[in-house]
Amino acid sequence: MARTHAPRDGFTATDGGAHVELRGVSKRFGEALAVDDLTLDIEKGSFTTLLGPSGCGKTTTLRMLAGFFDPDEGDILVAGRSQKGIPPHRRNVSIVFQDYALFPHMTVRQNVGYGLKLRRLGRAEREDRVDRVLRMLGLQPYGGRHPHELSGGQQQRVALGRSIVMEPDVLLMDEPLSNLDAKLRVRVRAELKEIQRTLGITTVYVTHDQDEALSMSDRVAVLSDGRLQQVSDPWTLYHAPRNAFVADFVGHANFLPVQVERREGERTVVTVHGRSLVCHDPHGVGTSGAEAVAMIRPEWLEVVPAAGRDPQDDGSGRTFDGTVRTSTFLGSFARVWLDVDGLERPLVLDVSASSSTSLESGRPMTVRVPDGRPVVLAEAPSDVGAFGPDLPRRDAAQAVRATHGTTA
Amino acid sequence: MTLRQVPVLGHLIVQSQVAADLWRRDKGLGIGLLIVVALLVLFVAYPLLVVGAAPAVSDWVRGATTGRWRTTMGNTLFMALLSTLSSVTIGFLYAYAVTKVRIPGAAFFRLVPLLPLITPPFVSGLAFILLFGRRGLVTHQVLGLNTDIYGWHGLWLAQTVSFFPIAFLAISGVLRSINPNLERASQSLGAGGWTRFRTVVLPLATPGIAAASLLVAIAVLGDFGNPMLIAGRFRVLATEAYLQVSGWADLRMGAVLGLALLVPALVFFMLQRWLQGTSTARYVTVGGRGSRLEAEPAPPLVRWGLFAFCAFIAVFMLAKYVVILIGAFTPVWGVDFSFTLENFTRTLVRSGELWNSLRFAGLAALICAALSTVAAYLVVRIRIPFARELDLLALLPAAIPGTLLGIAYVLAFNTPPLALTGTGTIIVLSMVFMFLPVGYRICVATLQQLAPSIQESAADMGASGLRTFVDVILPLIATSFSAALVYCFVKAIGTLSAVIFLISHGTVVASASILNLAEQGYWGLAAALSTSLIFIAIAALAFARVAFGKRFALFDV
Ligand SMILES: Nc1ncnc2c1ncn2[C@@H]1O[C@H](COP(=O)(O)OP(=O)(O)OP(=O)(O)O)[C@@H](O)[C@H]1O
Ligand SMILES: [Mg+2]
Repeated sequence: MARTHAPRDGFTATDGGAHVELRGVSKRFGEALAVDDLTLDIEKGSFTTLLGPSGCGKTTTLRMLAGFFDPDEGDILVAGRSQKGIPPHRRNVSIVFQDYALFPHMTVRQNVGYGLKLRRLGRAEREDRVDRVLRMLGLQPYGGRHPHELSGGQQQRVALGRSIVMEPDVLLMDEPLSNLDAKLRVRVRAELKEIQRTLGITTVYVTHDQDEALSMSDRVAVLSDGRLQQVSDPWTLYHAPRNAFVADFVGHANFLPVQVERREGERTVVTVHGRSLVCHDPHGVGTSGAEAVAMIRPEWLEVVPAAGRDPQDDGSGRTFDGTVRTSTFLGSFARVWLDVDGLERPLVLDVSASSSTSLESGRPMTVRVPDGRPVVLAEAPSDVGAFGPDLPRRDAAQAVRATHGTTA
Repeated sequence: MTLRQVPVLGHLIVQSQVAADLWRRDKGLGIGLLIVVALLVLFVAYPLLVVGAAPAVSDWVRGATTGRWRTTMGNTLFMALLSTLSSVTIGFLYAYAVTKVRIPGAAFFRLVPLLPLITPPFVSGLAFILLFGRRGLVTHQVLGLNTDIYGWHGLWLAQTVSFFPIAFLAISGVLRSINPNLERASQSLGAGGWTRFRTVVLPLATPGIAAASLLVAIAVLGDFGNPMLIAGRFRVLATEAYLQVSGWADLRMGAVLGLALLVPALVFFMLQRWLQGTSTARYVTVGGRGSRLEAEPAPPLVRWGLFAFCAFIAVFMLAKYVVILIGAFTPVWGVDFSFTLENFTRTLVRSGELWNSLRFAGLAALICAALSTVAAYLVVRIRIPFARELDLLALLPAAIPGTLLGIAYVLAFNTPPLALTGTGTIIVLSMVFMFLPVGYRICVATLQQLAPSIQESAADMGASGLRTFVDVILPLIATSFSAALVYCFVKAIGTLSAVIFLISHGTVVASASILNLAEQGYWGLAAALSTSLIFIAIAALAFARVAFGKRFALFDV
């Protein structure tokens, strides 16, 4: 096994890491298929995230990469070599656990130096490398402490340090930030990304947090029920999701049932309740005359000021008139649920906090769909709640009461 | 510096303020606390003080200078060391095999070590005489040997088999608490199987193993039945103290020998408490939530090696019970192996003793479970004065060798106003306080799991402390109450060490007459009577299991 890879002189600009390929990998537990025919190319030095809801097979995939179990079918290649049958302790792959799994009976230094000691590195070199990692992670003052004497964020960094000190071919991380509080998570996210970029370690990161995935990754692989849905860079994932699942899971989305009119190159014109919308069709799913779904992100919708309303716009264009059902203030913007006649679900839109529009319930409001923004998809997601995405619970409850005419 | 900062005085001042506070807040609870404290002081602290004060200086000198007793002390420590070492070694391997390696049939192997915990402790001694004694089934009948199991090696065997389950229980708890992800992490960092064991599992288990060793050592020190039956001329302090009292009516010398036993037991007890506290504070898993992978399956050699080991132990353990069962239907062990029911018909004559065992143990179990529940409630749930001291007092009997407790009760309750010797009451009381620590621990563990908010919400609605206890807490701890009840019952029905000092005409219990019968060589009768006790204990457990279903768990394995 090639272990003589990374340079010894420092932790900058190494080309540590290797190209990783998953080829038709499947894993089953009894009857259930946890990972289903997964093929994925992970470039050397890249930060790749496995994103998906709970139980979709992210951890299982990661554990196969770590070698805790082999795939039932398919193969995993690291730097061109099949990993079949190689036990975890013979792979140059390092994993950061969600619960960190720090050795409670060892100090921070001992934790970080543990793997190097097993490699029988000389004491001087070992101390040297441990020192560098501790310095890089800002952990020098804590070298003599035990894990239980550290804060959550510090523990998380020790876990990371214990892995990167090994200069692994592949660094695996299973939801490493989920035990941190929200604020810290955002900060550590940036730090982690920075360290990864500096070291150039091929990294596979698992999360079910879309913000984390979008902000850190070079590439994101979205999984659902063990199957790969889409692999792409974060921008494409958000703006051109391949299917409704991805659109729904990454970010928020309105789904409007539409009729496809015609294709005009990259564009597709669709109609919904007599209005025609000009959509983006990156995957070419729109065929004339077919039923389809237009996906619109809440921030794509524009509020049309009542005063400056285009007199020529007779309502058949790209605008929707509705009444505000409810809204929530979210700091830099407010999220609004707009009831529109003829639409089954309220439209969700984000209104900039600086806008002067009144968002009180019952107020009329007109919104415009900019040309070329909606994305045509073949079908809607199966399980969007009856009130559209993310209606606040309280309002959902009120709505239920209103519709059913009962009181709590 | 204020008065509150003076070490002992400050503590007293603060605690008495807490007491005043409690009294003002809730008289019912205050009275409950007073009763618990009074009982503990009267039946734990007071007898200990009496027995401590009983020997004169000359008795101590006699004890220290008589060669025979010096040998006895040496023997006792020797056995404590030897039996503890073997019990803990076996207990660790067994626990490792069952919890970490998960050998085939682990569910079955898990249950086997529980048997000795619910059957009378002297069963081991009796069974080994039948198996390996002068007329033993294995030694004499099968191998044709003329060996003699009586002596330290026989005692070693019997104690190891009797007490390794204690080590097994404690250590399997420790092993299970080790996060399997730690082993996975170490594996991912390059550690092979043996290295993982050496650098992660073993260091993490060490404090637990040490604590388990101390528990076993306390049990070995206090063991009375096995040395009485199987040690022959090899004397240990527990049996020697008994002989001083029963043979020479020398209570003061008995007290000296018993106290010599109490000192190391107390030291071990305190050490164990300290160890438990520090190790949980330090080794408690950090990190919080996250799915856990199962540990990697061990290599086949280790797996099957450990399987063979556990199978051997399990067969050995079960053989004990089988041989007693056979013995119960055998006319003359070693001579006439034909089938007979006579042993049982003759024990019917002794049904009075069985009945005594049954009613004393039943009554003791009820009182013990009630007292455990109330004491645990007060210590865990209420801000009471001197909570730490009360906790210690409730657990203290765990460190008192039964022999010493027996002598202490004889000395303390011999004269009015508490002239209890010769009555059934004193036997019941000795049982209650001997097994209080286990019942109390069960109840404390349950109560600590209950969220304090439950109680607060009840208090919010205007229930007084006592009402809260009855309405809210009691239903929730019904299970721990029943566990304490059953545990105390099965222990009490087979106990020997303290009771043997307290029985008199009309209050003889079955365990004492088993000892008597065995000493006189009536193996068949002893076995038949033992069989009856074992069945009663198992029936009690089975009944609890049926009555309370899955919620009823005596041992957490
Ligand atoms: N050891 C196992 N035995 C049986 N089934 C398993 C095992 N491990 C995982 N599974 C199943 O395989 C599926 C995928 O599990 P996995 O742990 O990979 O999900 P995940 O994407 O990591 O989810 P989460 O976000 O909740 O961690 C789940 O349905 C799970 O129940
Ligand atoms: Mg997972």
